[in-house]
Amino acid sequence: MSLPSRKLQVRFFAVLREQAGCSSVTVESFALTAAALYAELQSRFPALTFPAALLRVSLNERYADMTAPLSAGDRIVFIPPVAGG
Amino acid sequence: MFELTSSPIDPAALRTRLAAPEAGALTVFEGRVRNHHQGRPVARLEYEAFDEMARLEGEAIVAESENIHAGATVLCVHRTGTLQIGEIAVWIGVASAHRQTGFAACRHVIEELKLRLPIWKKEHHPDGASEWVNCTVEAGSNAAGDDTHARQVALPEIGPGGQARLAAARVLIVGLGGLGCPAALYLAGSGIGHLTLVDGGKVERSNLARQILFTTAEIGGPKVVAAAARLRLHHPAGRISAHAGDLTAGNARTLVAGQDVVLDCSDNFATRFVLHDACLALGVPLVQAAVHRFEGTLDVFQRGAGGCLHCLWPGRPAAELDFAGNCDGAPVFGPAVGVLGVMQAAEAIKLVLGLEGLAPRQTRLVNLLDGTQLAIERPVRADCPVCARLDQLKAATEQLAASDAALLIDAADVSALGLSARVIFLTEPGDDLSAPGMARTVPAHDLARLRELAADGPLVLACRHGLRSAALARMLRAEGMGAVRALAGGNPPAGLQSFLR
Ligand SMILES: [Zn+2]
Repeated sequence: MSLPSRKLQVRFFAVLREQAGCSSVTVESFALTAAALYAELQSRFPALTFPAALLRVSLNERYADMTAPLSAGDRIVFIPPVAGG
Repeated sequence: MFELTSSPIDPAALRTRLAAPEAGALTVFEGRVRNHHQGRPVARLEYEAFDEMARLEGEAIVAESENIHAGATVLCVHRTGTLQIGEIAVWIGVASAHRQTGFAACRHVIEELKLRLPIWKKEHHPDGASEWVNCTVEAGSNAAGDDTHARQVALPEIGPGGQARLAAARVLIVGLGGLGCPAALYLAGSGIGHLTLVDGGKVERSNLARQILFTTAEIGGPKVVAAAARLRLHHPAGRISAHAGDLTAGNARTLVAGQDVVLDCSDNFATRFVLHDACLALGVPLVQAAVHRFEGTLDVFQRGAGGCLHCLWPGRPAAELDFAGNCDGAPVFGPAVGVLGVMQAAEAIKLVLGLEGLAPRQTRLVNLLDGTQLAIERPVRADCPVCARLDQLKAATEQLAASDAALLIDAADVSALGLSARVIFLTEPGDDLSAPGMARTVPAHDLARLRELAADGPLVLACRHGLRSAALARMLRAEGMGAVRALAGGNPPAGLQSFLR
């Protein structure tokens, strides 16, 4: 029987990296979606105040929906507004 | 080809790589670090990339551009690390036979890159202060100076509250022809937060007279790509999603679920019926328009208002209606589709704002030849099987919501409410689907299937620990499927056997 919590790998870039104070973290999470995971991370890193409404998310290096379900081993990166070019 | 580099960019070397005897044009864009931004002096910039994804996304953008602009060979290099004033941050070169292709492909790459490439830049000011560009969320820093919607916010019917509702709204537009183009522009202009565009077609020269999102530069490319790029320039604060394909019976419910309003801007009855049925099943208001020569019709269909598209055309096959009506290629007066598309946008905005719109079951006929408008009542057929089924669905949804607003339902109530046949067990990868109790299962990640099932009526989700089922039920409810519940507590599959008979 599989456990309901899963290991997820989260990396932080730019403004989120500075707010979280680290560039990556592996979490045991019950969060089913990226949106729920960000809320969990915000309680774990109180300085992570960047508004969720302005974020996109990448799941295993591809853009995904904030409500897409997460699976064990997923690599998650929250993407604040980009500024390439 | 797309590359990331931490070394200075050498344009001469890159130009050489694009040399080809058949290329009569080399179009180059260089993005350079400038010494000011939004009125503040800038000393240097620091670029940070999510390396793995930036490479994938950069390659995808280049491939899309080469695909849309046939004959273009694109090379794009983006710099990372600390850059001084005047240094090149991004270099895009396009080799092509003709200049039109080069300019269009080059423009496409830089605009997409600015939207999608996971690269961030930090501005360092001469006074030692620094900030991440586009990420400053100080109260009012962006919002206060933004007067984009000032003129409509000044309307008492809209105001700041209404503007916030528009910014939170999701609208689906099916068809980007003569109706969809003006509708999309006005919806983006009104500040709709998330527009989803659906069209499988490509831009043709004969479209340009009416389809006002497109120019000669986009001929041959997918309509949704050109439209999305144009709308993003128009409405940078909004989200635009593009679905480059037709609406089908297979994807209609997935596309409609979670939308606040849907616009039918299609040009054929097959699409019209599929979209209408999905909207009514999911309870999403549908604004439909159709144009024939100088005349157009505008309709709003809402579940529970009585009178559906099948009441209007009982038992008529779509192909027969297309032959009689306004199929693709039929003669049409350009301003007629423009007027009707804008009227669709107006009805959609009013639906989001809760303002009074077209009366239920009213068809508005607009004639651009004699300048008249006429309202006629749509028929309601007492024996319409579609209406009867929709009424049942609505009643079941309301009953369930009223009987207990709670998300969780226990086993006894499942039996009492006669929902045993609507229990679905959510499976995880690796589950043994032949185990006892696994009769009715859906993989927990198959949202499209769950949305379809939820649209068919009340649904009870179960899973081993009761966590995933509750979360998915909450999500589907948030999308408007109020009759989705989760079975309380954890439920090993074998324990479900009593339900699944
Ligand atoms: Zn009907």
